[in-house]
Amino acid sequence: MIIENDGVEASSSTAFLSRMLQFGDSMFPIGAFAFSSGLESAIQEGVVTDAATLRAFARTALEQAARGDGIALIAAHRAATSGDVDILIRIDAQAYARKLSDEARTMSVRMGKKFTEMGVEVVGAPLLRTWRECIERSVTPGCYPIALAINFAVQDLPASQAFLVHQYGVSTTILGAALRLMKVSHIETQKILYELTGQAAGMYETAATARLSDMAGFAPLTDVLAAVHARAHVRLFMS
Amino acid sequence: MIPAPFPPWARAEALGASMPEFASFQDEPPQMSSGTVGKTGFLRLGFEHRSGKTILANLERRVPYMVQRALHCDEQMPDLACVFLITTTGCLLQGDRLALDITLGPRAQAHLTSQSATKIHAMDANYAAQSQTISLADDAYLEFLPEPVIPHRHSRFISDTQICVAPSATLLLSEIIQPGRKHHHLDECFGATVLSISTAAARSDGRALFAEKLVIEPRRYVMRQTGVMDSFDVFANVILCAPKDKAERIHARAGADVNFAEGLAFGACRLPNDAGVIFKVLGHETAQVKAKVREFWEIVRQEIIGAALPPRYLWR
Repeated sequence: MIIENDGVEASSSTAFLSRMLQFGDSMFPIGAFAFSSGLESAIQEGVVTDAATLRAFARTALEQAARGDGIALIAAHRAATSGDVDILIRIDAQAYARKLSDEARTMSVRMGKKFTEMGVEVVGAPLLRTWRECIERSVTPGCYPIALAINFAVQDLPASQAFLVHQYGVSTTILGAALRLMKVSHIETQKILYELTGQAAGMYETAATARLSDMAGFAPLTDVLAAVHARAHVRLFMS
Repeated sequence: MIPAPFPPWARAEALGASMPEFASFQDEPPQMSSGTVGKTGFLRLGFEHRSGKTILANLERRVPYMVQRALHCDEQMPDLACVFLITTTGCLLQGDRLALDITLGPRAQAHLTSQSATKIHAMDANYAAQSQTISLADDAYLEFLPEPVIPHRHSRFISDTQICVAPSATLLLSEIIQPGRKHHHLDECFGATVLSISTAAARSDGRALFAEKLVIEPRRYVMRQTGVMDSFDVFANVILCAPKDKAERIHARAGADVNFAEGLAFGACRLPNDAGVIFKVLGHETAQVKAKVREFWEIVRQEIIGAALPPRYLWR
């Protein structure tokens, strides 16, 4: 019996997938590993104590991201597709104005700048160069979701994939930090990741129909933890 | 009086029509419909600094919103104009719209509060809305510290606050939200259908400083979830817009902590674009949260004015 592969699927989607994997990789060098998104304080203060509370904490972060940054990301993808830098700057200012803690702002603009610079080096599209210039000249803060949206738009990767990569990044940042900060196994974190990423498609559907002004959220204890972290004496992570 | 084409409360009436979280609550109440006399309140307060003290120079009102005169009753700040916001209906019902327009001229100093907690009653049609604009000129100082909001079960409430603040002015704005009448009925703890609270601040040239939109929908998002309310019940959101150097000192003094044993968590963060500080408090009981907000208020007054707080009211 001859075992034979049955031909090719749509080749463009295969090429797209490899791009998405590269730029959505948690090891992509933009420094996400330096942040814990509040998990470090959550563990120190006894808010997160085990796998169950870790899952709930990560879920809260994902919901907040989908209701906030995720909407800005989809709007930015549309603006980047039509090459409108002025609208990108407005979206970026709105995303930045909604980051109400120093550490959240630092994380977003640092990763956004790095991601834009990597895009210029690796992909090299004119819009990415323009955006890097805007960030360098302090015309715009350069938040991460906007950078991600521009990068995906210039590669013709759809907004839905950029959204999923963003949500995936939110999960892996927290779960990656969890492995270094608390007693939790790789099996448990992978189970949590599998469960949480399964909800991303539904979150995308809600975000995709929202207006920029609909960006909202409600996670007061996470906000308090950001304030606690900024004052902590011993810190392994930058947030 | 010839009615204007757009009454000053038009914004409060339009607020809920475009918000996605209120899309399914556009039906009119079977009782008095929204926008009728007695349901749409308006208050315009203009404070000005004249011959050594702040006076309430401009006052327009429409029931059920009202104020009486400004009192200079704070012994620690005798020039401060103190005003109590009154709603003659005593609570918020479905179809109610409130519009509040506050302006402080250069160097004016005012303290605004409400008479008692604001109850938002249960609703089976429509929603209640509140629109607020706050405008502070150079070196103005406003403490806007109303009593807590108590959303009853099945209530729907939208609040939108637009702030325009000069870089040298100070605004202290507090909002305390209870989970409901939690000792009255089990369903009253986070029993509201939707609370949507937006705040945005800008400079007078239109430059955006920060924006926050809190949407509380306990049926869609679990309130007890880790990182949201966890085991806490009462939430306070305190916004301080202040000059950068003073805001920095206040931020350093405000502190941050999570204490499950005492049932209290709080923390201050710097707002973007050097706008000031945001201070959040979570607690089991309202009294703890109010005490913490008062501590922050005390720090703000010391650093900005150099004055102490008046003694606590016995019944507040």
